[in-house]
Amino acid sequence: MTTFSELRPVESRFRLDPEIMAGAIYRKYEKATRKIWNAKLLDYEQDAADWARLTEPQRMGIATITVRFEAGEQEVTNELGPMLAAAHALGRFDWVMFISTFMLEEARHSEFFTLWHARVPQLLTPAEKAGYWPAREHTVDPLGRFAAGEPVYEGLPRYGRQLSAAVESGDETVIERAFVQFATLYCVWVEGVLTMPSYEIVIDTTELWDALPTLRQGFRNILGDEGRHITFGTEACRILIAKNPEYEALAHGVIDEYRGNAIGMLEYQRNVPGLDLQKYQRQKVRHYLNRCREMGVTADQSLVEQILDPELDFVVGVEAG
Amino acid sequence: MGRRWQCLEFGCGVTISAASDEELVAAVNEHVREAHSSYELEEVVLANAEDEPDPPQPRDAMMGDR
Repeated sequence: MTTFSELRPVESRFRLDPEIMAGAIYRKYEKATRKIWNAKLLDYEQDAADWARLTEPQRMGIATITVRFEAGEQEVTNELGPMLAAAHALGRFDWVMFISTFMLEEARHSEFFTLWHARVPQLLTPAEKAGYWPAREHTVDPLGRFAAGEPVYEGLPRYGRQLSAAVESGDETVIERAFVQFATLYCVWVEGVLTMPSYEIVIDTTELWDALPTLRQGFRNILGDEGRHITFGTEACRILIAKNPEYEALAHGVIDEYRGNAIGMLEYQRNVPGLDLQKYQRQKVRHYLNRCREMGVTADQSLVEQILDPELDFVVGVEAG
Repeated sequence: MGRRWQCLEFGCGVTISAASDEELVAAVNEHVREAHSSYELEEVVLANAEDEPDPPQPRDAMMGDR
């Protein structure tokens, strides 16, 4: 009769060793466990008082960003499962440990925005929040060369399904390829480049207006968490690309698929009155080059030129087609 | 060993050096705030930092002079 120890040698049941605990990804896990914050413990009263004195354009500018964040955080909380399953399938226990904190943090971000919307602008229902959500199709390149896609609501579920199928296949190379694509879209492009201006817009604006301190604090807390998410994704990609340099093309391919989203500021990022949009556009280049440096890949110079090209930009409010 | 980080803001390229990771994060953010009205995340600074090369030893310098 086969013993349990023969089925599963005892030595194979231990995964955490000093080498893993000395690594960059375990360090992020450890830091995440020290940096826990609680959205319920924040004080929303001053924000509610500030909201009452803001003008309608100011309210609209902020709320078009915050409703995107609330839904976006919920979407990514819901779409992280395949990444966890893939880390497990690749036998990378430190990745599993870190992704457990990653999911918890995305859930906490979702909770923060839901609470803030309930207690400050008193947006409670999906319909009320949808009223502040300009359609992506209203972001248009007047020259017709680029289109802005929906990487969070269309791309992540699609690449997540591919990653789940890869895990089911049990083929290590297939899983690694799909992991690079998923992590590039989520951690590198969405979190690490496209969303970055939104944080700066909210922090800059609330400082300029001397208003909404809890929203600003929430964004700062979230940014601290996002720094770990972004650099987990780039570190995981760096490890996999170093193992198989052919994966680099997959990372560039995913970014290229949503290249259009970077060439101008998107509809929900343009609503706050008085912003220097070119500043945020320039910073996308820094974020993109940082991500490439972290992954150990060569940046696409044509993308850098397109992000910086002042003649390439979107207009908003025009029906597509 | 010291740590260093290069700013990749378009047209910048400044290299910041510091004695420790903690000091590097502070110095990088001072630069990014003053030069680019922005900030850099702690984890991003750490992920892009590298060790300073060892300064040349006196003997190496003498050999380099030959």
